[in-house]
Amino acid sequence: MTFLQVAVRAIAALALGAAAAAFVGSDAVLSLLAQATIYALFASGVGLLLRQNGSASFGHALFFGGAGYGVAALLKLQAMPAELAILATLAAMTLLAFLVGLVIVRVPGIAFGMVTLAMGQMAFLSTSRARGFLGGADGLSVEWPATVFGMAQSDLFRPATLFMLSWATLVVVLAALALLLASRFGSVTEAVRDNEERARFIGIATLVPRAAIYALSALVSGTGGVLAALNTGFVSPESLHWSLSGMTLMMVIVGGFKTLWGPALGAVVYFLFKDVLGDYATHWMSIFGVVLIAVIVFAPTGLAGLLQRLVRRRAPLAASAAAALEVRDARA
Amino acid sequence: MNAMNSSQPHPSCVLQADEVAIHYGGVKALDGVSLTLGAGQIRGLIGPNGAGKSTVIDAITGRRRLTRGRVLLQGEDVSALGAVARRRRGLSRSFQRTSVFGQMKVRQQVELASHKMGVADSGADADAVLRELDLLRLAGATAEDLGYGEQRRLDLALALVGRPSVLLLDEPMAGLSVQESHDLARHLKQLISRWSVSVLLVEHDMDVVFGISDEVTVFELGRVIASGTPAEVRANPRVREAYLGSAA
Repeated sequence: MTFLQVAVRAIAALALGAAAAAFVGSDAVLSLLAQATIYALFASGVGLLLRQNGSASFGHALFFGGAGYGVAALLKLQAMPAELAILATLAAMTLLAFLVGLVIVRVPGIAFGMVTLAMGQMAFLSTSRARGFLGGADGLSVEWPATVFGMAQSDLFRPATLFMLSWATLVVVLAALALLLASRFGSVTEAVRDNEERARFIGIATLVPRAAIYALSALVSGTGGVLAALNTGFVSPESLHWSLSGMTLMMVIVGGFKTLWGPALGAVVYFLFKDVLGDYATHWMSIFGVVLIAVIVFAPTGLAGLLQRLVRRRAPLAASAAAALEVRDARA
Repeated sequence: MNAMNSSQPHPSCVLQADEVAIHYGGVKALDGVSLTLGAGQIRGLIGPNGAGKSTVIDAITGRRRLTRGRVLLQGEDVSALGAVARRRRGLSRSFQRTSVFGQMKVRQQVELASHKMGVADSGADADAVLRELDLLRLAGATAEDLGYGEQRRLDLALALVGRPSVLLLDEPMAGLSVQESHDLARHLKQLISRWSVSVLLVEHDMDVVFGISDEVTVFELGRVIASGTPAEVRANPRVREAYLGSAA
């Protein structure tokens, strides 16, 4: 994907978000959209790891909740301005993930998932029991200053503003990832994911790219965590719990991880389900579970893959079909 | 150039394995194998299944850790180096089972391999290799959509970019039809001669091995039992008894 294509799509997505923020009158709907967008970022981090490393994390809430706790702790200490606290937290989170990644990405398959689960639960239990500074199981209020990034709190915490901020962040993050993955780095990580041994025998040192993807996925999920702390003004150990990681993995599977936007779509669908079905069914998660099973069985590439197939069916000479014809002609 | 037992670096060799051994507990997959490869030479490695042919390729390329012995590439001891470092020094290989990047485009992966070898114009290098192997017309296809024979050639293309000095081919004809085998053998012979690549070739197709090799080394139970020109090896009574059979 070229820079121009990414830029055009990003501008169109930003315009769509701005239109939603301007024309959706209901604060409740805008709050729901903001929440869905924040979790779309979280899911995008998990999806990136699955897409580029082929690894499923059952403990990515470590980075989502950890980023919120990091910002909350720095603000409580009044160690630095809020903007710097956000950047420092995300930088530290990314560095930590890279260093941890250098060790754990060597672990294959389901064992990797178990390691991430263990790490996440270690963070959850430690935070739950740290009753002093971090507030233990009661959590911690985030003491945002009067202005953040030049915006007054009263303006920033309006649902429309929070939604637009989250949406713009999501669009910028996905655009940046699209460009990064279209670069040489993207090809290297694809090669390592497809066939790690072969990658070594074409001269690729495979460990660093895999750890880099793990760190990037932590950064993306952590960015969602900072926005969640901004949205709620509060962090609690639940934001580190494995069930949140599992829920996000469900969003990724439902949305599909072959495309960068699939996990974000999954998050939006999840919150729509929660909102619509939650009014009628106490156990709405069981219905979502049925959807999850249906997607895994009938649409293994997720809703994003399904949408792509539908679009291609309507345009028979779209890219894949044309490519198939090209291959057939070349063989003839 | 014969299989040998010298522990001194041989000046005219691009590749030298000295007393290479790989043991798995009490099992001796390789038990003191020595062989050399001269510039532009093709050495065929033959022997029954389990004789240690693929293991010697794994040992030379750094896929398996040596229990004993050493591997010299252009006179440099590379025994302690990993697979990546050996590849960057010009030691390349293909695999017994087709080993490509299934979800990547044909040209994308060959160009990446060329880039990782430090070729300045990796695009042109990739195109040249793809053209040589008659894959350029499939440059835009995804590897997993290719036929088996095409995937075998793609595997070879990945090994050939960056013009390696030594190429180790592990049963490149496996699973190909007779016609495909002969075409690939012809391609290989031309390419090796034109690019001055030295080749260790593990192959069960005796017509191919004896047709294109300068020298042939015969393995049995992790040891070299004979080495020489194709004619010498064919005439060796021990080889006929152990592997080729009386009809050879």
